[in-house]
Formats: sequence, structure tokens, C-alpha cells
Amino acid sequence: MKDFEELKNIWHGQAELPRVSYEEVLSKVKKTRLVFSNKLLLQVVSLSLAIALMVLILFKVDFRLDTSYLAIVIFILCCLFYLYVQVRDYRKISRSETLLEMPEEYISYLKSYKQARYILNTRIYRIYMLFMGIGFALYFIEVFFFVSMVQTLIAVAFTVAWFFVCYYVFMRMYIRKEEARLNEMIGNLERLKKQFEVEEV
Amino acid sequence: MDTKEQRFKVIFQANSRKIYHLCYGYTGDSDSANDLMQETFMKVWQNLDKFRNQAMISTWIYRIAVNTCLSYLRVEKRQPKDELTDNIIETRGEELSEKNEQVALLYKCISKLEENERIIITLVLDEVPYPEIAEVSGISEGNLRVKIHRIKQKLTEIYNRYERF
Repeated sequence: MKDFEELKNIWHGQAELPRVSYEEVLSKVKKTRLVFSNKLLLQVVSLSLAIALMVLILFKVDFRLDTSYLAIVIFILCCLFYLYVQVRDYRKISRSETLLEMPEEYISYLKSYKQARYILNTRIYRIYMLFMGIGFALYFIEVFFFVSMVQTLIAVAFTVAWFFVCYYVFMRMYIRKEEARLNEMIGNLERLKKQFEVEEV
Repeated sequence: MDTKEQRFKVIFQANSRKIYHLCYGYTGDSDSANDLMQETFMKVWQNLDKFRNQAMISTWIYRIAVNTCLSYLRVEKRQPKDELTDNIIETRGEELSEKNEQVALLYKCISKLEENERIIITLVLDEVPYPEIAEVSGISEGNLRVKIHRIKQKLTEIYNRYERF
């Protein structure tokens, strides 16, 4: 039978040292920062190019109907919104003041962040898709005047089918998976929060 | 080497071992503990300029380490890789010296505690002063003392139960 003091002696007798040196930490910091900024840069550059292209179309292409201009403006706004959300979330992740909060508050932050991401990936994505759909619908009015009815219908059918596949197959799959993950995470966080809550003992 | 790097080196050398113990106690395995310790110190480096001496540097680092541990569990709820069975203790016994075996068993027993208990007890074992533990865990000192008493009893019971095997 050992008492706590003996356990303490065992603890202080441990010889195993961490296998990470401070040089490794610093090199990992530099590497991570580079990967992180490259990823963000790639997204920002590709989205900016897409936006620039659409702005060019908006001013250079002579559409017959105003609805087409409106469609392009909607597409641009959708891209700008996506760009804003990506940059905002990357900044939120890298912002580390929350790390210095009390565990109980930190757990609450993790919970709210996860829930916000979930809402973004589900509800806000639906609104995003709705606007993209409206954009395409407006553009197809112009297409209808230029090409035959059959070609217009094929283009519309193809676009609608793609929207359906995205929403009912990919999005449903994603939501189901994400919901299960989120519930597990929230469950774990609730359990942790209870442990850190100030209790009368 | 610039001043920030020098400062970081000193901080790392003074605290890495204790942070490693905390992470090891929390996760129950050394690989995860090394990952978590690395992650903690990466955050320490990124926030070093924000440290304003309003708290002890060790308290500040412990807070980062505790929150890093908590978010780690969120990502992947790790359980200790091995269950405590006669077989494992026996096999490990051949590989490890008696002392190391006792340390391994102690870590396994810590992993049987609740997450906040693991954090508190590793700090107690590392002889971190109670006010500092209270500051890190966000629990009042009075409550903490009672909690520590309970955790000590719980850990001793678990250890003695497994040692008998």
C-alpha cells in the first residue's frame, strides 16, 4: 500500500524527458505560418481573380437585358461574402487571446465557435445557394434570347441538376456527418465545462 | 539569436518539463504529450509579446497548456492506448525498470481520473503552489483544497488497486 507521498516520490523519479526541443518548436512555428498563409493566399488570390473576371464581364460585355447585369452583381456579392467569411474565420482561429481565459470560459468559446461554424456551413450555405440560384435564373433569361429553347432547357436542367446534387447529396452527407461530430464535441465540452464550473464543496 | 528567441529559450528550458508532465498526465501517452507540449509552446511563442508580467510566466504558460489540452480532447477524444491489465503490466515490466514501470503505472492511474482532476493532480505532483493551481484552473482556493484532498485519495486508491495485480 502506497500513500500519496510515495506516489509523489515516484513522480519525481521519472526520467523521461520531452522529445521536443525549443529549436523544433520555432521551426514548426515558421513552417505552420507559411502553410497557413499560403493556403489563405491561394484562396484570396483565386477568389479575387474570379471577382476581377466578373467585374470585367460586367463592364465589357454588352448584355441585352438588365437581369444579366443583376446576375453578375449577385455572383460578385456571393464571392465577396465567401472571401469575407474565409478571412474572418482564419483570423478568428489565429486570434489566441481566448487561450488565456479561464478553462470554463475557454470551453464556452470553443462551443460557440463550433456552433457558429455549423450554422455557417448549413443555414448560411443554403442562403448562399439560393442567391447563386437566383443569379443563374436571371442570367438564363438572357441565354433564352440568344440560343434555342432546347439549348436553354438543357442548360437550365444541367444547372438545376447540379444544384440538386450539391444540396441533396453532398450537403446532406456533410450535414449528417457534421451534426454527429458537433453533438459529440458539444457533449464532451459540456462534460468538461461541468468539471470546471465553480461548485460548492 | 535575437532577444525574443533568447527569452523563449529560457522560458522553454524552465517550463517544458512541467508542461510535458501536465500533457502526459492529461493524455496518458507520451506521443500525444509531445504533440501537445509542442503546440503549447508554439502558442507561447506567438503570444510572447502579449505577456505583460501581470501574472507569473509559469501561470500564463499553464493556462495556455490547459486550454490546449482541453481543445485537444475536442478534436480527438483520446483514451489511454492500453487498458490496465495484468498482461500489459507484466510485459511492460520486462521492458522497463521497476522505477519506470511505477511511473508508467502512475500515469495510467492518472488517466483514469476526470479531465480536470488530471490537470489538478499533475500540478500538485509537480509541487505547483495552490494559489497558482487555483489561478490556472479557475477554481477558488477553498474549493480547490477540498478537491485536491479528494483527488489524492482517489488516485492513491486506484494506484494501490492496480499495484496489487
